[in-house]
Amino acid sequence: MRDVGVVSRHAGLARLSFSVWAVLIYLFLFAPIAVLVAFSFNANEYGTFPFTGWTMDWYRQVFADYQIKDALYTSLKVALEVTVISTVVGTAAAFPLVRSNLPFRSGIRIGMTLPIMIPGLLIGVSLLILMTSVFHFQLSPQTAVIGQAVYTTPFVVLLVAARLQGFDPALERAASDLGANTLNRLRHVVLPLIMPAILAGALFAFTLSLDEFIITLFLIGGHNTLPIYIYTQVKFGITPEVNALASLLLFASLLLLVIAFTLPIALRKMRFAYRARRA
Amino acid sequence: MSVTEGRLTRADLLKLGGAGALGLTLAGPAFGRPLSQEATTMTMLTWSDHYANNQLAAVAKATGLRGRPTLFSDNADAYLKIKQTGSQFDVVSADGLWVPKYVKSGLTEPFDLSDLPVSKQLFSLARQFSFWKSGSNYMAYPFSWSTVQIYYNPKYVKTKPDSWQAILDKKYAGKISLENIPTDVMAIAGRATGAKKPYAMTSAQISRAKQWLKELKPNVLKLASQNNEVVRALADESAWIGITNLGTDDRVKDARGPVVKAAYPKEGTIGFIDSESIVKRSKHKDVWMKYINALEQAPWIAKNFITNGRPLFNEKAYKLLVNQGHGARARRLLYNKPELALKMTIKGPAGNQQAYIDAFNEVFGA
Amino acid sequence: MEQQVATPPHALPPADVSAGRRGSRLSGLTQYAGFIPALLLYGLFFLAPFGLIVAYSFWQTIDYEVVHKWTVDNYRYFFSVPTYVRTMWATLWVSFAATAITLLMAFPLAYWLVRYVRKSLQGFFLVLVVVPFWTSYLLRVYAWLNILGEGGAINRFLQWTGVTEHPVSFFLYDRPAVILVLVYLYFPFAALTLYASLQKFDWNQYKAALDLGAPPRIALLRIVLPQMKAGMVTAVIFVFIPILGEYLTPQLVGGAKGVMIGNLVVNFFSGAQYTRGAAVSLLIAGLIVFLLLIVRKSLEVEDPYRA
Repeated sequence: MRDVGVVSRHAGLARLSFSVWAVLIYLFLFAPIAVLVAFSFNANEYGTFPFTGWTMDWYRQVFADYQIKDALYTSLKVALEVTVISTVVGTAAAFPLVRSNLPFRSGIRIGMTLPIMIPGLLIGVSLLILMTSVFHFQLSPQTAVIGQAVYTTPFVVLLVAARLQGFDPALERAASDLGANTLNRLRHVVLPLIMPAILAGALFAFTLSLDEFIITLFLIGGHNTLPIYIYTQVKFGITPEVNALASLLLFASLLLLVIAFTLPIALRKMRFAYRARRA
Repeated sequence: MSVTEGRLTRADLLKLGGAGALGLTLAGPAFGRPLSQEATTMTMLTWSDHYANNQLAAVAKATGLRGRPTLFSDNADAYLKIKQTGSQFDVVSADGLWVPKYVKSGLTEPFDLSDLPVSKQLFSLARQFSFWKSGSNYMAYPFSWSTVQIYYNPKYVKTKPDSWQAILDKKYAGKISLENIPTDVMAIAGRATGAKKPYAMTSAQISRAKQWLKELKPNVLKLASQNNEVVRALADESAWIGITNLGTDDRVKDARGPVVKAAYPKEGTIGFIDSESIVKRSKHKDVWMKYINALEQAPWIAKNFITNGRPLFNEKAYKLLVNQGHGARARRLLYNKPELALKMTIKGPAGNQQAYIDAFNEVFGA
Repeated sequence: MEQQVATPPHALPPADVSAGRRGSRLSGLTQYAGFIPALLLYGLFFLAPFGLIVAYSFWQTIDYEVVHKWTVDNYRYFFSVPTYVRTMWATLWVSFAATAITLLMAFPLAYWLVRYVRKSLQGFFLVLVVVPFWTSYLLRVYAWLNILGEGGAINRFLQWTGVTEHPVSFFLYDRPAVILVLVYLYFPFAALTLYASLQKFDWNQYKAALDLGAPPRIALLRIVLPQMKAGMVTAVIFVFIPILGEYLTPQLVGGAKGVMIGNLVVNFFSGAQYTRGAAVSLLIAGLIVFLLLIVRKSLEVEDPYRA
């Protein structure tokens, strides 16, 4: 695009102002997070200005706090269950979405993104009514798992379907020409090749679940996940310990997402590397 | 292994994933000591000023019972939550006249106070509230009490606001903070408009109270979900007036805030008597005694007073405070006069709970 | 694409040749088999609760119990309380303002990315926009609490530099704070969609317009913006609609004046007024579905899944 030779007196000025704007935007985006992380090292116990000194005390407190461990354990357990459900249901649903002769394809596609578009609040309260008034289930991490799975599964579907759509059908045809039936085709040809997308979807669902708050708030009953624990602590006020916990969570989410998106590439490189060595 | 054949099969990846997942799950508790198998979790539905994090940690260490608090901001919400959640919660902190309602609805159960050794540390008066007696048993373990009054920042509020009508002054637009408890706010509104029984108002009285509330609304900065939010608002001067518990002036000073003064409204006000009760459907009733016994020991109660400023019912803690040099502060905040608690209009469920909540919601929107 | 088809190490069952000839397609109803788990999950836990909400919104709550008597009273009640109606309009207004500001802020950034940044670096800067988004929603709102507020960074900074004497309460517990935080939360959505749309644009048309003598501003207005319409509509949808259902942001930073309709729903549900809460929920959901239907034409992309 840079070859658009704009002959204008204001070209330089325009370029400058847009660049300045971009810098401001990035500052705007990162400032709150930078402040959050900075205050987690602030010795000031009120978690605000002035900066009275550097300390790792708050991080130490985080690691020693049993309530945080409890919340983390619940968070991880819930996230794991949500991931399994989402991945299985989502991957299974991606196949007919891409490959079958669906009559209302675009309608179904929109329907599939509805759980993402509908505010989490509504998913939470509607499931609350269902669980307590109709099924008379007790609220527990399990009910939260169901609520979160409703929200995360469409993401898995979208990711796997995108990969499946770009899947070369010649491969399957070759396999079936060699005598493979449907099951074997699936097991030995399709699934291994779309596995990176499935893994990415799984990691995505896992991260979404860890961060999920509003649906969980309604459905988890007396238990705590990390976001809910943070929410409780915010009622006490901003404490540096919460900042430390928040910084750790930030870092973990980012790490997981980096893995989610580089894992497929890394796996592919591994596979080619082995093949090259064999050749 | 098929990896060496240059092909990662689904089986391998499933194994990898499973191993990773297992690792993550086990790594979670491994920040320090692994979760002990004998630890039982006591889930509490409570207010933020009923505990401190280090207190819970110490109790957990001593008894193996780990408290897990969930905060609520309105007695009516807590009541409904207990009703809906069955055995999720083990302890609920009920207020004043809500305690008998819980018992009557079969949500909590009375117990023998003498089963709790720590109850001997209480003022004897606290063990004999008539409205908490159930035969020879007691419905709840008494914790704290306070009136709800006006605290103001004299730097900005030049005339002492000693009546509920005074705080309607337009000067205070957006400068008042109070707790988001619809039933109790309506009761205060009732007091402000002359209702003799703020918790048993007629429709006409409710209407009048609602009108007062409407006039108050523009002056409200924030409806706080816990009283320490009111303290913070006063401390950082975003609020000039707070409607909250005894001891707020000390708490604001401790939070490095300005000097605030108390004003007792001449129309009268409400007050609460806080407690801890056994949830009837709890699965840990057998250790409830042990847990509360450890939680309510005098040293913790004394610390709680220093942090939260309002009087409690633990007499031994009062003596500790005197020894620590906080006697004057304790006496100023009426710690040694628990009998005054009975003179308050004690918080409780309203006669027509739905009408109270509707009126409040219709003013504040949410 | 060169691929080795590995021979399975064990003997194969007799080949299903007929299925093989059809390639990757299954026949008849079995091709829909993959939908079954999804149908179960969403039938039970998405559609059924939704149906319940619809039903509840037309039933009554008497003495905290839901009674199956049909009535439109819940809706009538909602519209009869001025505060509630005002909250509804306030929510629409906040959503509108936040969306407008977000788009106004995002468009120059998207333009900058497409026009002034080397293609190889565009991905990096894009990821940079998204990175804050990939952290917990709660944490991002919490981060702003650190900054806004009388004890927060802005006020302390202003006082420290001597600009103000005592804290300014503008920044917290009011609608501006809510709008500000919402803009922050939803900015990446807008930036990404606008970027995608801008990138597809054929800049030669722009160049041609300039060659024909149009000033850059006019060229932008007359040539670029109309073709961006689809992208802008998508951006609006991804920002406006979720904001309608916002609850946490107004609760944490909105104070008494920043209440939105999500808070009302939560209030009704925590007070066990399920029927009223259901009615309001349905109003929100109905509005959302209605908006989605209006703009579905712009959302229609050539079906990527058509084989």
